[in-house]
Amino acid sequence: MIATDVLTYAAGSVLGYRARTLLTLLAMGIGVASVVMLTALGEGARRFVTGEFQSLGTHLLIVLPGRSETTGGPPPLLGETPRDLTLDDALAIERSRAVRRIAPIAVGSAGVSYREREREVMVIGSTAAFLDVRRLKMASGRFFSTSDPRRASPVCVLGAKLKHELFGAGPAIGRWVRVGDRRFRVVGTLASEGRSIGLDLEDIVIVPVAAAQALFDSYSLFRVLVEARSDEAIPRARRDILRIIRQRHEGEDDVTVITQDAVVATFDKIFRALTLTVAGIASISLAVAGILIMNVMLVAVSQRTTEVGLLKALGASSGAIMRVFLAEAAILSLVGAAAGVAVGYAAIRFVDQAYPLLPLSTPLWAVASAVLVAMTTGLLFGVLPARRAAKLDPVAALAGR
Amino acid sequence: MRVIDISRLAAGAVIAHRSRSLLTSLGIAVGIAAVVLLTSIGEGVHRFVLQEFSQFGTNIIAVTPGKTETFGISGAQISNVRPLSLDDSAALGRLEHVVAVMPVVQGNAQVEFDGRTRRTMILGVGSELPQVWSMDVSAGHFLPPDDQRAARAFVVLGAKVRSELFGDRNPLGQRLRVGGDRYRVIGVMEAKGQFLGFDLDDAVYVPAGKALGLFNRESLMEIDLVYRAGSSVDTVHAGIERILRARHGSDDFTVTTQQQMLDILGSVLDVLTFAVAALGGISLFVGGVGVLTIMTIAVRERRAEVGLLRAIGARRSQVLRLFLFESLLLSAAGGLAGLALGLGLAVAIKAFAPSLPVHPSLEYAFLAELLAVVIGLVAGVLPARHAARLQPLDALRAE
Repeated sequence: MIATDVLTYAAGSVLGYRARTLLTLLAMGIGVASVVMLTALGEGARRFVTGEFQSLGTHLLIVLPGRSETTGGPPPLLGETPRDLTLDDALAIERSRAVRRIAPIAVGSAGVSYREREREVMVIGSTAAFLDVRRLKMASGRFFSTSDPRRASPVCVLGAKLKHELFGAGPAIGRWVRVGDRRFRVVGTLASEGRSIGLDLEDIVIVPVAAAQALFDSYSLFRVLVEARSDEAIPRARRDILRIIRQRHEGEDDVTVITQDAVVATFDKIFRALTLTVAGIASISLAVAGILIMNVMLVAVSQRTTEVGLLKALGASSGAIMRVFLAEAAILSLVGAAAGVAVGYAAIRFVDQAYPLLPLSTPLWAVASAVLVAMTTGLLFGVLPARRAAKLDPVAALAGR
Repeated sequence: MRVIDISRLAAGAVIAHRSRSLLTSLGIAVGIAAVVLLTSIGEGVHRFVLQEFSQFGTNIIAVTPGKTETFGISGAQISNVRPLSLDDSAALGRLEHVVAVMPVVQGNAQVEFDGRTRRTMILGVGSELPQVWSMDVSAGHFLPPDDQRAARAFVVLGAKVRSELFGDRNPLGQRLRVGGDRYRVIGVMEAKGQFLGFDLDDAVYVPAGKALGLFNRESLMEIDLVYRAGSSVDTVHAGIERILRARHGSDDFTVTTQQQMLDILGSVLDVLTFAVAALGGISLFVGGVGVLTIMTIAVRERRAEVGLLRAIGARRSQVLRLFLFESLLLSAAGGLAGLALGLGLAVAIKAFAPSLPVHPSLEYAFLAELLAVVIGLVAGVLPARHAARLQPLDALRAE
């Protein structure tokens, strides 16, 4: 029998038993669709998180005060150190040629009030460079100007939510608000960023770093954000930062430098592993569908014993019989997989439209491997029934024994 | 037909098609095994995390500066305009039902002894730490109950710091430098291991008053207190709020009870376990489709048999029950096999990789078996109804 004959014959028998074929396709389809959808979810989460980190800025290095000796352990998150990381340290870092700009950050919390309304929020003290390093957008007004970072000018920029809570829809620019026990003039409001990892930039007030230091009576910085000149300059910037701080801190290495790429890479790895695990669990259902195909094919062989006998009596070789049944198994699994991919993609599009925030997309490798696994299980589980059919004795089969 | 007859007939049909029944049950078994194993892992993680969190005791309440609703690090812990002071801590200690109270300041500094240095976590705490955090010293004493404002320069070492700085030498009584100041070692803590990635042994404990001086700050990062077991959390909670409000004049602090933490964690972990179980459930569902397929085929094959049964007086409901019972048998047997497989795998993982938290839960195992039975019933209904609706004459003629 030539290939087309094998295929038409197999397709004919697949179409002949409609109910059973549909159910088998359903089983395979569920398996493939769930793999496609779950990898899309995992991949979407991965892109979302890494995208969030990348949106923090480019070529970013973060300097934290304090250092823990255990390598691979978490950095000292809210470390107080005997020797502060100061504004002068930050400004010294800026002198490195690998560094484009820096934004020192001092944080604390204080009540912000306007007339009778008060709200306790996070206060960030920084410099004009903060806007560019973090790539924030202004909704109105301006950010504070690039004057001497040591001057504590009484100006502030409000986050979108804080502005709304204090001023409602009214204008905020030019008004005086009280932060802690000091008065600041609002010079701008931030555009609503929607979401951001680590800091809720909606509910904050940004003041000049010197003003924050005076407000909290503390000279220590919480972080220094450093933007390197280019991707290639990141390692050099890192070395320079460590060298400069060591010189300024009497030979003591008491800061931790994290590169943004390292953080992104870590999250990338975690989410990839998660996606793989979830896809692995879902693909167990592919194996179950494969078992079903084997079962259905076994039934088919026993039901079509006479047919096989007739084919053999007409001169079909064992190989040809085997190919017929294998083709049938392959058709079942392939069409099922195709249906699953179609359903999976439809569901992804639906979710995508309902929640545009989550960038859902199935990686091609996931679809390919799901279909491949479906095919392989189908064929693998088809071998046993096909061999049983091929081994039938034509005389006994025709006699119906 | 009596029940026993129906079951004998159905069992006969199942046994007659041996390989087919085996494969159908295998499909269900794989699904159930996946559900059982995954829920075991989920339950294991659940227990592990809760245990990690309750190792400090369950009657703890933490008071942090600043008003926040989230559990993350708030800016207020670093600096704020209305600090939590040592006096606040002392005032909370006078509250009814409170057994012990302790100020906490945390930071990072270099510890030096005899030329060896190590950067490590510095915890400024009170003398009540062994009671509040349920930790114990392995040698010497913990910090004495000095007045925090004039505390003596004593230090207690974490197990890791001790071995890194002193090796085999006896550290008790030795003088070492913490961030430049001289301290005398009076005790070594028991090894406590990791807690959510933080090495608890890589730390030294000094009086909170000293730590405030070391880091040049006035504000505590946290006040931890323990209340008497059996007294109401809400009363203590309200007492804390009353005292601090009176002292500060406003609500500028956050009170977190350990119970709240555990409850929230527990519900998050429950959702996780359920989600993992649902993932395994996909396979179970596919297995159910398998039962449906095979039962559809069986009804088609045995039309003549159904016709005969009906011709000699079997009622429709009896035919229905016959096929339902058959599908039930297939899935229940598969479920049992899956239970054995899943539990076996869980036990094997526990034996060969004890670090993985696996805890087979009987509750989920029972639910999984119940699910298998329900799947069998649901998958059997359509084919069985089809069989029951057959006209005896048509069915007989089909042969």
